[in-house]
Amino acid sequence: MLWFQGRNARLVLVAASLVMGSGAGLAAQDGENPHTSLEDVDAGQRLFGMHCSRCHGFDASGDEGPSLRRGRFRRAQSDAGFFRVISEGVPDTGMPPISRGRTDQTVWQIVAYLRSINQRPESISLPGDAQAGRRLYAGAGACATCHMIAGAGRLLGPDLTTVGDRRSPAELRADLLEPDRDVPLRWWSVRVTYENGRTLEGLRMNEDTYSYRLLDADENLWSVSKRELRERERIETSTMPSYEGELSASDLDDLIAYLFSLRTEESLP
Amino acid sequence: MTRRALIALCALTLIVAAGRPFDAQQRDASGPAPVFTPVTYERLLNSADEPENWLMYSGNYSSQRYSGLDQVTVANADRLRLKWVYQLRDLDRAETTPLVIDGIMYVTESPSTVIALDAATGRVFWRYEHELPEDVNYCCGRNNRGVAVLGTRLFMSTLDAHLVSLDARTGTVLWDTEVADTRLGYSKTAAPLVVKDKIITGIAGGEFGIRGFLDAYDPATGDRIWRFYTIPGEGEPGNETWAGDSWQRGGSPTWMTGSYDPDADLVYWGTGNPGPDWNGEVRLGDNLYSDSVLALDPDTGELDWYFQFTPHDVHDWDATQIPVLADIEFDGRARKMMLWPNRNAFFYVLDRLSGEFLRGTQFGRQTWAERIGEDGRPVRVANMLPSVEGTLVSPPIEGAANWWSPSFSPSTGLLYVMAYDSEQIYFMREDEYVAGETYTGGGGRRPRPRDAYYSAVRAIVPQTGETAWDYPVQPRSSSGVLTTASDVLFGGTVDGYFFALDARTGDELWVMNVGGMIHAGPMTYSVEGQQRVTIAAGNTIFTFGLEE
Repeated sequence: MLWFQGRNARLVLVAASLVMGSGAGLAAQDGENPHTSLEDVDAGQRLFGMHCSRCHGFDASGDEGPSLRRGRFRRAQSDAGFFRVISEGVPDTGMPPISRGRTDQTVWQIVAYLRSINQRPESISLPGDAQAGRRLYAGAGACATCHMIAGAGRLLGPDLTTVGDRRSPAELRADLLEPDRDVPLRWWSVRVTYENGRTLEGLRMNEDTYSYRLLDADENLWSVSKRELRERERIETSTMPSYEGELSASDLDDLIAYLFSLRTEESLP
Repeated sequence: MTRRALIALCALTLIVAAGRPFDAQQRDASGPAPVFTPVTYERLLNSADEPENWLMYSGNYSSQRYSGLDQVTVANADRLRLKWVYQLRDLDRAETTPLVIDGIMYVTESPSTVIALDAATGRVFWRYEHELPEDVNYCCGRNNRGVAVLGTRLFMSTLDAHLVSLDARTGTVLWDTEVADTRLGYSKTAAPLVVKDKIITGIAGGEFGIRGFLDAYDPATGDRIWRFYTIPGEGEPGNETWAGDSWQRGGSPTWMTGSYDPDADLVYWGTGNPGPDWNGEVRLGDNLYSDSVLALDPDTGELDWYFQFTPHDVHDWDATQIPVLADIEFDGRARKMMLWPNRNAFFYVLDRLSGEFLRGTQFGRQTWAERIGEDGRPVRVANMLPSVEGTLVSPPIEGAANWWSPSFSPSTGLLYVMAYDSEQIYFMREDEYVAGETYTGGGGRRPRPRDAYYSAVRAIVPQTGETAWDYPVQPRSSSGVLTTASDVLFGGTVDGYFFALDARTGDELWVMNVGGMIHAGPMTYSVEGQQRVTIAAGNTIFTFGLEE
C-alpha cells in the first residue's frame, strides 16, 4: 500500500506541519490548519463518524457522497478550502454545512483527519518511469484501443485524461491486474438476443426496468427495448483484459507511473 | 377562410380542448355550487363512501391505500394520458401524498409548504410557506409528506417541529404550535392523523438522541391534549429495558402516519430506531418501545398493547411503516388483522384487537435472523452486530421495506410492498451525545453500488407470507403502492417511471416515463365523474386520466 494509514500518517502530517513552521494564530489567518495533533486527528475521526459518515461512508470511501480518500478534492484544494466546504456546505448539492453550534476547532479537526487518510499526490514517489509508461500505453499495452486521453483514443473504456486524480497508484495497479474486481455499473456489458434471433452486445451505459442504452464495440449507440428480446444477459465483469503476466513488473511500474501522472494542475499552498 | 379567421378558430379550439378553467366547479340543479365543503369526522369515518375524494394520507383509516374507484381498469389502463402538471418551486425531492376534497387538491412541498390546487386543472388557489428558523436540525432531507383535514382546517407538520393549522379555503394560519425544540434535533415531516376531535401527530429525530413521543392536539386551539413517550420514564414499565440513563436519548421516533380502528377505538402507530443507531452497547436491553407498533386509546393516549418487531435493534431498522389494517380469513376464521412488511425483512401478521403475534415470515433478503419465533421475537444469527471492522448483513440500512406505503386490496386479498433485496456493511463506533447533534454510533457502507441489487413490487399472500408474484424493478423503487377496486396497481421507480399493473397477476398494463425520481405514494380521485391518478415525481406533480 502506498497510502499511509493510521498512526504513521498522523506522524507524517504532524511532521509536515512542523516543517511548514507557522504558529497556530498565523496559520489560522493563512488558512492553514492550526489543529493537527494526534489528538486532533483522533477527534476528527470521531467527528467525521458523527457528521459525515452517513453520506461519505464510514471509512470515508464514499457512498451517497463522494469518496474522500482520493488524495485530491475537487472543491477543496487547500486546508482553508476544506474548512469552507465543511463550514458552509456546497449549495445545490446534498452537502449541508456542519451544525452551527460547532466551533472552528471541530471543523479543523475533521480536516486534520481527512488529511491523515490522504496523501498529496505530488509527494508520492513511484518506482516507475512515466515516460516509458507513456510509450507502453500507446504500444505494447494497447490501451488506446479502448481508452481516451485528451480527446485521442476510443470510447470503450473510462476516459483517462485525469485518471491520476481519481485513482491511487495502488488502485491503478489493481485495475490493471484485476479488472473484474468492483466494476462500476457503467462498464458492465449486456448481451441480448432479439425475437428474430439477431444478437447484440455492448457496454451497458444505462438500464432501467424496460430498456437498455448500449455502446457496441464499433462505438455505435443502441436503444434496446426489453420487450423485443428473447434473451438477455448482464455481464458484470470488465471488458478489459488483465495485464497479469502480460507486462513485466517494471513495465507495470512504468505504466502506473504514467497513469498516475495524468492529473489536473492545481495550486497548493 | 382567411388566415386571420383560421388562427382565431385554432385559438378557440385550443381553449375548448385544453381549457375549461373551472372544471372543478360543482354543479347542482340551480347551477354552480361551492367546491369545498367541510370535512366532518363522520366523513373521515366513512371515507369509503366518497371515493372521489382522498381525505387522509393513506386514503382511509385502515391505511390500505386502496380506492373504490374503478373507471381505470385492467382493460383500459393503457389509455391513461397526462391531464395536467404542477411544477413545485423547491428543487428537493417531493414525498407528498396529496389530499383531494371536493375538487380541491392539497399538495405539500419541501420543506414545509402547502399548495391548494384545482384538482381538475392543477391551477393554484393559494400557497402557504411556513417560515423556518435558520438553524433546523433534521436527518434525512427537507421533506414533507402531506396534510390532514378536519372541518375547514388543515394540519401540517413542519421541519422545525411545529404543528400548524391553516384555513383550507385560503391558507390563513389559524394557529402554530411548537411540538418540540428543533435545536435539540426534533423535526416533523409526516402527515398528522385526525381521530375524532384530536390531531394525532408524531416526531422525527431518531439520529439526534431525542426521546420520542406521540402527541394529540386540540384542532380548535392547538393545545396539547396528551403525550405518550415512546420510551418509558423512570419508574414506568419498560424503562428497565434501557441500560443506565440511556433511555433519556434513546430515539424511538414516530416519523410516519398511523392508522385507526373505529370499532376497537385504537390508534396504531409505528416507532423508529433506538439511538444511537448502530452502537447498542451503550443501551443494553430490549429498548422498549423502539421498533414497535403501539396501540393507544385516542382519547387519553394510554397504551393498550404493543408489539416490538426488532428488540434491541442495532441496524437502524425503524418500524415506522404504515400499519395496514385488514379484515381477513386466517386459520379458518375471520379476524381483524394488522399486516406489516417490516424494514427488518420479515412480514408480520398481528391480531390488531389484542396485539397477539400470529405469524412472521421472511419477505425480503435477510441474513440476521434464523426465523421469527412463536413468541414473535427474532431468533438471531450470531455475529451479525455492527463492528469496528464492519459486518456484512442483509437487509441494508434502508431495509427490505421502508416508509413508502404498502397497499392492501380487499378485492384481491393481497398485500403489496416495494421490496429491496440488498445488503450493507455495518460499522460500530463510540459516540458522544451532544444536544442537537447526530448521535448514531456508527454507520454503513455498501459493498456494491446501490443499484446493483434486486428490487420488486412484491405481492404477498397475508395468510401464508408467500409471494404471489414479483414485478422486478431496475434499478430499484422507493415509491408507495396504490390499488383500486378495478384491480389496478400503481407504483413508480427511482429513475422516473410511473406504471400500472394488474393487481391479480403483476402483468404490466401501462408505463410512463415521468423523468423524475418517484419517492412518494400515488393516490387517486375523481372530478366531474372522471378518475384521476396523481403522483409526485422529482419536483413535479403529475395527474393522469383516461383518454377522452
